[in-house]
Amino acid sequence: MTNNERKSLSLLHRLWLLGCSLKLAIALASAATLLIMGGSLVMHFNPAIFAGMEKDIMARWLPWAWSQAPLLVAWVPLSGICVLLFAINTLCCLIDWLLKIKARWRKTGEYLIHAGFILLSIAFLWGNISGFRSGPHRIFQGEHLAIPNMTGLSLRLEEFTPQLEPSGRPLDMLNQVSLWDNGTQVAEALVRMNHPLIYNGLVILPTSFGQELDGFKFHMPGRGVIELRTGSRLSISSETNIILHKMLPDARLNDQGRVIQTGSRLNNPAMLISLQGPSGKLWEGWYFLRSPLPRQLREAGIALRPTEPVFKTFSLLTINRDPADKMAAVGAGCITLGVFFALFSFYRKRAQGDRPEV
Amino acid sequence: MSKSLLYLLFSIYATATIGYLLHLIWRRPIIAKGALALIAVGVFLQTGLLAHRWWLAGYLPVTNLFATLFFFSWALALIYLYFELRYRIRATGLFVMLLNLLLLGGALPRDTKISALIPALDTPLFSLHIIFSFIGYAFFAMAFSVGALYLCQSRLHSNRLPDLQTLRRINEEAIFLGFSLFTLCMIAGSIWAHIAWGHWFSWNIKSVWSVLVWMFYAGMCHAKFIRRWQGGVYAWLSIAGFGVVLFTYLGIGLLLESNHPLE
Repeated sequence: MTNNERKSLSLLHRLWLLGCSLKLAIALASAATLLIMGGSLVMHFNPAIFAGMEKDIMARWLPWAWSQAPLLVAWVPLSGICVLLFAINTLCCLIDWLLKIKARWRKTGEYLIHAGFILLSIAFLWGNISGFRSGPHRIFQGEHLAIPNMTGLSLRLEEFTPQLEPSGRPLDMLNQVSLWDNGTQVAEALVRMNHPLIYNGLVILPTSFGQELDGFKFHMPGRGVIELRTGSRLSISSETNIILHKMLPDARLNDQGRVIQTGSRLNNPAMLISLQGPSGKLWEGWYFLRSPLPRQLREAGIALRPTEPVFKTFSLLTINRDPADKMAAVGAGCITLGVFFALFSFYRKRAQGDRPEV
Repeated sequence: MSKSLLYLLFSIYATATIGYLLHLIWRRPIIAKGALALIAVGVFLQTGLLAHRWWLAGYLPVTNLFATLFFFSWALALIYLYFELRYRIRATGLFVMLLNLLLLGGALPRDTKISALIPALDTPLFSLHIIFSFIGYAFFAMAFSVGALYLCQSRLHSNRLPDLQTLRRINEEAIFLGFSLFTLCMIAGSIWAHIAWGHWFSWNIKSVWSVLVWMFYAGMCHAKFIRRWQGGVYAWLSIAGFGVVLFTYLGIGLLLESNHPLE
């Protein structure tokens, strides 16, 4: 072996010892801890920058935040580097232990925790680079929703039932959903609070729900109360019908005489309706419910008096994807097993009077 | 929960604390035994009260500041009993029970009403998360008390206090057990976050500080292997660690906004 080879081997050996160093582990963990401590307070007092951190993956949020306030977010990559180096250091320790497992098998619990930590670190990095977080997505019963960033995959809401307390306080949101991949159903589940649909790294869970104006109830002389919903048809006589095409909760006429929506709360509702005769469409136009019925309808002998709005309920779903969720689960499993092993070996050692110190 | 029972519980622990103080002065074993018996009675009563509240609520009622302080106090008393029965560390009881009195005293003026469970908390993972978290905290509180006692003893060298070697062992054991349970708390919390919010790590300030607590005590589990840090430095670290725990538990909940509010 030449001197140069000896030198490079010795350098490698020293690098390996540094990689396995306990003091390095403590230094890196301390640096990460201090950075995150300070950073968490910066985060709390700068919600405009950091609010999006929770809503998106790191690979998308960090470049945006960096472009906004690099000094405020510098702690994130710095602490990330510390944790990454710490994970590498932990990996070196784990390999070192595996090489000497015959003599150190009693530390299995501790090293399972190390292995779990490494897996969780990789899973965090992977999930934050190639996963996504999206939503809340508004979806009505019977509707299909394309899953973002996953071509061909769509979600259908089969049935939605909000559960409320008698006081009106929401208790749960029952979403019967099915997942479709290019026209083939691949999964179905009842998605509700703490019970998401998990499929191939996708997590679909309920966030909230709401209501949208869908139509109106009217009093019609001789017929009583009738209901008109978007897309529905009301038969006036054997030859005449009216069809509700569109419903706006708050609308007005603009300067060009066009009807525009001015809000989403019920204020000045308007409906686009058409009058159909035996030979086709007789008339189509907007009916502002606070105004009298349009002349064309009155002349056709129609008398309608609006009584109350009709709403349809929609569900708000969050759709996230973490491709590393299985790896994270394995990491969590390793840590949990490791804790039990470590506790067991600790008490066993004590019972045997072997190394009374922890 | 009846306030009078709470005051009775507080009186029992206060009497036990005074008992330990008298034992420290007079060194009468009978006083220490009496104090220990009182703590056992207190733990028994507190366990009964906690079980009754659990039964009434239909879920583990640890969702507001009163309930968390009460649960923390119960866990600390229980853990003290474990260490006392194992090591006979009588004078240590004075430090631990003083801390316990502070916790229970903080709970006394608060509303004991059990509030309705919000739907997101309606999962066994929440109960596991809470149980492991507060028992972990209680071990850290024990380590803090023992650490403080270690520093006193290292100056006083009193034969009325446990020897430094025993205190060091108890401190290391409390840190190890606390870290183990807190790890399980973090695992339960991560699984719960994944199914409730769709991601297993949250950047909420409470979650971030929980990771910091975990990292700090993980570091402490390693620090005990550094010879120069054994004993004194380790005791100071136990005290600093409990500061991090207190900020995570109370500081964030009371001073800052988080998804783990304290009322």
